[in-house]
Amino acid sequence: MIIYALLALCAGLLVGLSRQINGRLALSTSAMESSFWNHLVGFLFISLIALLAGGLFASNPGQSPWWAYLGGPIGVIFIAAGSWLIPRIGAARTAIMIIAGQMTSGVVLDILRGASGDTAARVIGVLLILAGVWIAQSKPKQGVSRTKKTTNLDP
Amino acid sequence: MTDRSTPPNLPHLLAAFGTGALLTLMVLCNGTLAAHGSLLFASWVPHLTGSAVALALLFLLRPKRTQQKRPPIWAYLGGVSGGVTVMLTSATMNTALALSGTIALGLAGQVIFSLFADIRGLFGLPRQMPALREYISLALILAGSLILIFFGGSA
Repeated sequence: MIIYALLALCAGLLVGLSRQINGRLALSTSAMESSFWNHLVGFLFISLIALLAGGLFASNPGQSPWWAYLGGPIGVIFIAAGSWLIPRIGAARTAIMIIAGQMTSGVVLDILRGASGDTAARVIGVLLILAGVWIAQSKPKQGVSRTKKTTNLDP
Repeated sequence: MTDRSTPPNLPHLLAAFGTGALLTLMVLCNGTLAAHGSLLFASWVPHLTGSAVALALLFLLRPKRTQQKRPPIWAYLGGVSGGVTVMLTSATMNTALALSGTIALGLAGQVIFSLFADIRGLFGLPRQMPALREYISLALILAGSLILIFFGGSA
């Protein structure tokens, strides 16, 4: 069990790693070019895994609705946006704001699709997230960060 | 390379929040593909269509390269990290962790990596020290996300 928990944690680390690497590529090229390479290299890698492991066309992939194929184009914008943002606002702010947006919009989507869920938990969860976003965007008081830097006691 | 946290920029933060909403749509699309086909297929297809769309956008928009100097070769490997992520999550989703545990640990992994990446300036991106307000914002957003994942029924 603990090994699977570590694997799930690693998956999260790798999401951050990928965003950091793509951000570095965008720094030398452009956000869209970094998104292109991310998709192409990812495609080649997954193709290789599929060749080795098989099962790419298992089940009935042809039965998916047409809009399910829009994940790729959306992903292009998603990766480009992340690569553009990370050198500008930092990795932590990028990650946490994306998480905030994903979670909040996930609740909206669930409600639109009529998915069952606990209303109280949804309200509390979204309010906590919005409070976090509010604090992230509030301007720090002038000079605060500077005084913090100089409070180191001199010998 | 700043040592201090850069001041928050509201348009950038909102853009990151919106990027998170894109992720919800992407998960909906790719999840629908996975429901009809295999998880490998649901990752392979968006990488294929994404490569094509990104290439078309590169030709249409012709974004300027920000630097003449070539980026290091590892900067092109962000897509591999993304591919491994798919494999890890597909392994952990079917254990006792389920989807909610996989998502929750994945969020934790992302946050840990991004904080470390900012503090050390990993992979040639600007180094910055997250301020106290960022840790508070991060704690609120994570708390809200965990409530949504485990009690909101959105997973």
